[in-house]
Amino acid sequence: MDMDSNGTLYLESRKLVKRWSGPWPALINTLIMAVFFYITWWIFQDPRGVFRMYTPYVGYMVCRWMLILFIWVAYIFDFWPFKRSWLERTHPLVKGLVLTLVSVAAMVIVIKGFFIELLGNYGIAYFNPERLQAMGITHFYALEYATEAIMMFAAIASWLSPSWVVACEGAPWNKLKQPAKGLTIMVVTFFLSMIVYFVTMHSHMAILFYPWQQYTAITPPYWEAFANTVSGNFHIAWIMCCTVVVWQFETIWERYPFNLIKTDWLRRTASFFGIILIALALCFFLYYAQDLVWGETIRGTRRLAAPDWRWLHVGEMAIFWLVPTLFLNFYCNNWPNNFSRPVRVCLRTFLTAALAVLVYVVYYKTAHLFLGTQKGFSHPQQFPMIPMIWLINIFLINVWFMDGWPGWKAVPRTAEEMREVEEEKVASDVKWTPALARGLAVGVACGAGLYAIVIAILPWVGKTVEIIK
Amino acid sequence: MNDNKISRRDFVKGVATGVCAGAFASMGLYSYTQSAYDRLPKVQRKFEDFGACRSVKVINISETSWFNNAHLIGDIHDAGGLLVNQYTLNWAPFANGQGKAKGSYDSGIASIKELIPNDLEKAWEIQKKLALHPENPGGFSCLIEVEELDGTKHKYLLDTGWSYDWMEKSFKREGIDKMLQAREIEALFISHEHWDHFWGLPVTMKYDNRIPLYVHDGFYKEGLQYIKDSGYKGTPVIQKEPMRQIIPGMAVLKFDVPIINRVFGETSLAFNVKDKGLVLISGCCHQGILQMADFAYTDLKYDNDRFYGIYGGLHISPFEDWDPKYDDLVISLAKWNFERIGCNHCTGHLTAKKFIERGYPVVRGTARFRSSSPDYLGNGDTITF
Repeated sequence: MDMDSNGTLYLESRKLVKRWSGPWPALINTLIMAVFFYITWWIFQDPRGVFRMYTPYVGYMVCRWMLILFIWVAYIFDFWPFKRSWLERTHPLVKGLVLTLVSVAAMVIVIKGFFIELLGNYGIAYFNPERLQAMGITHFYALEYATEAIMMFAAIASWLSPSWVVACEGAPWNKLKQPAKGLTIMVVTFFLSMIVYFVTMHSHMAILFYPWQQYTAITPPYWEAFANTVSGNFHIAWIMCCTVVVWQFETIWERYPFNLIKTDWLRRTASFFGIILIALALCFFLYYAQDLVWGETIRGTRRLAAPDWRWLHVGEMAIFWLVPTLFLNFYCNNWPNNFSRPVRVCLRTFLTAALAVLVYVVYYKTAHLFLGTQKGFSHPQQFPMIPMIWLINIFLINVWFMDGWPGWKAVPRTAEEMREVEEEKVASDVKWTPALARGLAVGVACGAGLYAIVIAILPWVGKTVEIIK
Repeated sequence: MNDNKISRRDFVKGVATGVCAGAFASMGLYSYTQSAYDRLPKVQRKFEDFGACRSVKVINISETSWFNNAHLIGDIHDAGGLLVNQYTLNWAPFANGQGKAKGSYDSGIASIKELIPNDLEKAWEIQKKLALHPENPGGFSCLIEVEELDGTKHKYLLDTGWSYDWMEKSFKREGIDKMLQAREIEALFISHEHWDHFWGLPVTMKYDNRIPLYVHDGFYKEGLQYIKDSGYKGTPVIQKEPMRQIIPGMAVLKFDVPIINRVFGETSLAFNVKDKGLVLISGCCHQGILQMADFAYTDLKYDNDRFYGIYGGLHISPFEDWDPKYDDLVISLAKWNFERIGCNHCTGHLTAKKFIERGYPVVRGTARFRSSSPDYLGNGDTITF
């Protein structure tokens, strides 16, 4: 039966089954992806490679927009215009190639057609590098400024687009057919992204130019006193945290605890704003953690001690958390699974956080040896988000477009399994009881205590642990 | 019994949920609050005494590191951007004629190795035929004259520029060639490995190939090899420690920072001028001037506990690019209360303009010898602290 019309996303309608028992699928896929990552990194991004897009903003824009397009194709358009039957029958390699190329083509149309040609010629000059160059900015920086602006739009959309589907469950358009549903959600999230862009990043762009463009943007920006910087990196911090928390909510958290809310509008609203609140909490903690490790910021410095860089690094650290989160979900069957939902959500949260620390340490110890980047935490042209998102894009191509080939294959879910999928959206496995309330109180105290321990340890970590020699 | 089991399960579910909720709530409610910052340890100043001197005079030999910004940044862009290894850019004196990003130290130096440091004119002519934009290189270098409290005077070079041709002319204009030949200059400090501060090394070597030479320990193997290939007959002092005193009132400060085009680390100079205060002199100041000032504030003892002056490339908008974080610097420089600011080179003309607009005590220049703006202390200008 063609399932295009029953409202179930293709990604929800399929089940990925291992082709081999044991750890082999995960190991083989990891190996293949590592090789693919490195080859594509060398071809497209590496400063020593072929296209050298890591300038950095050109490469940064490309990988962010690829991420958005993958989300649009898989989550918002549910692979429309490709038919469900084509998705089910076509070899994963062919699917991966076709869907990736279609996404890249769409990305080029959005970047070149919409941002550079339309907005850049008829709206805001800084989206068009040629216009900037004509006004006296060097070609290099004209390109960097324009791609930075276009990239930032993608950063915002990479939070809002999946959030609308995952947290808001696509409402109120979730019953529409494709492409009406996809187009509607895309237009709405694009519109929201534009509003968020104007109130977060437009002022950042406006003060790139002399004098500050005070007639077209709020300068100095309203966040200056709060964030101790006029840089829009402050917004990158919490927006990146939102992006990461959306995917944690969807994968390792199984939408818990918001899925306990039975009322649709309340659940969706709570999920959407809950993600933002959790992201803000994460954002403030990661900023404070840096201050505990490296000492307080000095406004006006350029590197490690600069508040604008520390905000940027908040986003970078959050992305380091997303990599193990997705890996655990995609390739380790969301391990562990043999506990109640709250317990496994808790275990996965701490497990992935620990793995994120490990990825962080390994990255800063080794990236300069093989990615063509520079040694050090804070380099003005270094964005670990680029290789991390590049890797995540490869995860997504593999799992969304190629059904986890070669380690996994897609089989249709049974009716029973589909019910379980729905259960994730509205769950009833946790009920309010006195015991739960007592446990919750104890847990909150333990969580607060754990936080106290972490912030007590971090200054010691700063003094004793040397990641980069 | 069954009820107890259910209760235990519920309790555990509650604990698991609560741990995450409690941790995130604490993170959100406490982390970015005044109370959280009140508990951070206050800075313990070390007040390291490195003596005092009577005065410091800086003679700007050359601050024009390149003459066409678009050509420079265009070459970098064409090669792949700001992370590309500088020795592969195919700029003189490491050009091999194979075009953008196809250069290498070995292939470039091979064409001139036999000529440096004694026939620099011929070496540069050969390289000009092989390099991208061969007329673009200039260089950064300054002479620093320090007078001790007892009246003894010392001369030092900070950096040695880039173009052999330009630096030779600049040295002759300021009489540096004769000072080097007479061994009047006591040391050459290379602030960092970048093309415009270091690649003109053979010009210094031509006149004094045994001059004490100080470099950061982040120099790459190509840079260390170039010191040998330039004809240096001494042993370079590779600074590993954060601070090294040279004479009373003068020290070299070392900063470990990654820098564009695969360079690592910068050293700058600090002076304690008696009755005036701290003077900081930098080549490019990739560490950031406020980072350097903060280091000095935390670590050093200086007269009147006052920041007196700063000179050099302050590396804010070297390519006349801009970023909001540069405005953070322009805004917050006020609270450091420098009394004399002599800026040029990689400070950026726009930055100097913004400094002046904010009323900072920028010492103006004369815009001679191809320096383009009086907002800068230009080529041939001097400043005395």
